[in-house]
Amino acid sequence: MAKTVIIDPVTRIEGHAKISIYLDDRGEVDDARFHVVEYRGFEKFCEGRPFTEMAGITARICGICPVSHLLASAKTGDKILAVKIPPAGEKLRRLMNLGQITQSHALSFFHLSSPDFLLGWDSDPAKRNVFGLIASDPELARAGIRLRQFGQTVIELLGARKIHAAWAVPGGVRTPLSEEGRTWIRDRLPESRQTLNLALNLFKDLLNRFQTEVEQFGQFRSLFMGLVGKNGEWEHYGGQIRFTDSDAKIVADSLNEDDYQDYLGEAVEPWSYLKFPYYKPLGYPDGIYRVGPLARVNICSHFGTPEADRELQEFRQRAGGVATSSFYYHYARLLEILAALERIEQLIDDPDLTSNRTRATGGINQLEGIGVSEAPRGTLFHHYQVDENGLIKKVNLIIATGQNNLAMNKTITQIAKHYIQGTEITEGMLNRVEAGIRAFDPCLSCSTHATGQMPLQVELIGADGKVLNQVWRN
Amino acid sequence: MSKIKFATVWLAGCSGCHMSFLDLDEWLIELAEYVEVVYSPVGSDLKEYPEGVDVCLVEGGVANEDNLELIHLIRKRTKTLVSFGDCAVTANVPAMRNMLGGSEPVLRRGYLELADETPQLPYAPGIVPELLDRVLPVHEVVPVDIYMPGCPPDAHRIKATIEPLLKGEKPKMEGRDMIKFG
Amino acid sequence: MSVRTLTIDGQPVAIAEGATILEAAKEAGIHIPTLCFLEGVSAVAACRMCLVEVEGISKLLPACVTQVAEEMVVHTNTPKLQEYRRMTVELLFAEGNHVCSICVANGNCELQDAAIKVGMDHTRFPYRFPNRSVDVSHPQFGIDHNRCILCTRCVRVCDEIEGAHVWDVAQRGTAAYIVSGLNQPWGEVDACTSCGKCVDACPTGAIFRKGTTTAEKQRDRAKLEFLVNAREKHEWTR
Repeated sequence: MAKTVIIDPVTRIEGHAKISIYLDDRGEVDDARFHVVEYRGFEKFCEGRPFTEMAGITARICGICPVSHLLASAKTGDKILAVKIPPAGEKLRRLMNLGQITQSHALSFFHLSSPDFLLGWDSDPAKRNVFGLIASDPELARAGIRLRQFGQTVIELLGARKIHAAWAVPGGVRTPLSEEGRTWIRDRLPESRQTLNLALNLFKDLLNRFQTEVEQFGQFRSLFMGLVGKNGEWEHYGGQIRFTDSDAKIVADSLNEDDYQDYLGEAVEPWSYLKFPYYKPLGYPDGIYRVGPLARVNICSHFGTPEADRELQEFRQRAGGVATSSFYYHYARLLEILAALERIEQLIDDPDLTSNRTRATGGINQLEGIGVSEAPRGTLFHHYQVDENGLIKKVNLIIATGQNNLAMNKTITQIAKHYIQGTEITEGMLNRVEAGIRAFDPCLSCSTHATGQMPLQVELIGADGKVLNQVWRN
Repeated sequence: MSKIKFATVWLAGCSGCHMSFLDLDEWLIELAEYVEVVYSPVGSDLKEYPEGVDVCLVEGGVANEDNLELIHLIRKRTKTLVSFGDCAVTANVPAMRNMLGGSEPVLRRGYLELADETPQLPYAPGIVPELLDRVLPVHEVVPVDIYMPGCPPDAHRIKATIEPLLKGEKPKMEGRDMIKFG
Repeated sequence: MSVRTLTIDGQPVAIAEGATILEAAKEAGIHIPTLCFLEGVSAVAACRMCLVEVEGISKLLPACVTQVAEEMVVHTNTPKLQEYRRMTVELLFAEGNHVCSICVANGNCELQDAAIKVGMDHTRFPYRFPNRSVDVSHPQFGIDHNRCILCTRCVRVCDEIEGAHVWDVAQRGTAAYIVSGLNQPWGEVDACTSCGKCVDACPTGAIFRKGTTTAEKQRDRAKLEFLVNAREKHEWTR
């Protein structure tokens, strides 16, 4: 007698999802599926809008990483104008993205994931949240909140608001950084660095205790994809696409975003609104690849900043070379915050940041543009076709989280197989399945550019497909 | 003073309003003394929307069958329902699909035209909720007590709205700082 | 020139015969909200924002086109008027597709300002979500009919100040929309001098400069008044 366990909603991820676990006749896990249950249809309803509005519209895909959409859209716009943006424009865009990486990763680590690490997988779900963290470790909570605030404030100092700043535009950015802003960022950096070190040390301690999680939370071989710089260094804004495998071998390198359709395909499964991107040369579903912090840390040769490079060495030692466990996403995220803070430090005294030459202008000089940027969760592609006057004819968006879809499904299947045996289904088991998803920090509001309502529902489904029995978890 | 039962919910939005809520930063620590968070995608792990909620912030419009079911449940079990942000108040950007008439054009584009493998419309009754023909603002579905516009409302506005509610008072939603859209 | 005396909100006002209630109120320092009214061009009373109550007359009168009369007693801000004004703004929002968050005029929009002024935190009328188009065929400017509230300011500035009469209103009722030339794409209208007065006159983000992104529309409303004063009073400085 087969049965299905449904977790609904998956909480403390940024979006809407359900998980179902299919048991076979012997009560053992046969398969697990991650369902994304929302779809908004940006790729269609943007048609007919002036392309200059796309940054503002696509920012509304996601409130966590609106900056990524802003930048990808602006870069696509750069191509339609066929202009090279002024150096100040690029540096300012980079600064905003570094602020975003900091805030988004801090949110993922402190607000969303650390309750699992610190309060325990099996702790009371009513307290296993940021408010529980505030109660149990107010100092750590405060430090985390302030680290996210630092990133958000960098965004605000540039774009005049923390969320949905309309600031990056085709051709560059609207306004430079003010001297007061420069001072504020400089003054707040040391504290941010301190908090990051605290988190890093904390996490390394935890790693020693979480060996099972490391082994079970999505430990498998896959390709990794992301942007790298000219010398293979970690990138978040420019550079070119690289694919590596689980043996650190470069599978494809120096790929241009303009050719993304040659190496990326998207498949549809009937049980999710989230499409399944795959690496085309290997086909679907063999072309499974991962993006985001873990991928970027795996594919780069070095960070290019001293502290981050030191930590990268240790990271690779602990992981035994390429980190193939999805649990290391958390670790990679902390490394990226460190790299972002170091890069902000390097950039902050640059006179270009306060330059008024931030924007190039032009008309409609190309009818098609493809822009790419590294969002906190992975590589983001915007692809627009416009008419002679710049009205959008077609849009395709390939979103970071979507590219981890195959990997997320593999991860929860692995966790479910390990933790769920027999018919006994405990809170801790189910929460680990959720935590496996949380490691990817999926941003489902993005992925469904294009909450569950029920308590956990366990369905007993007979071979004829009839529901024989239902159990509810409250 | 007993803690008020506080919830936040997210329907068809982008989570920006929830992120703006987290932009309350250190005031969250203070807030934790006055509220018990009983349901929230960012602040709680409880899966069922409980009975007897005092205040619920609802982000997002009503776009699919799940949203519809949940918003009715929330209304039944909540004393003060706050329409939280432009998507909840006006349906905002997600409602741009309403001008196309029905959900079919957006689904076709996403899952048939833009798929390289197995193009098909997602269909899994009970698992993947069907889209409604139109994305609706919350108050077109259930009565709303307080409207907090903004895309997103900034942390100041959120604080100015929540603070009176903690004392059982109604916030004054007027003036540019409180009700400007966008 | 004879003078008329009247009372507005309990305040005695004296003003020349032929003046409107709106002018008299302005004289007395009393603000009456308007949307379609534009200094320097004719008044059309299209938007109904400036409706006032006049004692002894059962219907509400638009202040922008109602001439003052001797002994008139006017109320500009009764609860009834507040409710009607709010309803007017709500209807405007429900009628078109006004997505403030992504609009070029966000933060610089008279419709948005009016909504704040009348205390509109939501609209009680179901949104129509009409299917309207965008015309960006002009090399410099664009018109997005989604954001048009049919105030006809563009029609009037183009006709009365620029003298080109590029714009007019086509159809009736809910089907009404602004047309350029003989219902051609704007870019094909020979009469257009590309002066940009309609951009400055437009209260919302409906008419904009191409390339403008969210919240970036600037307007120079004073320019229109300056032109009128230069022409009529020969004042050449702003």
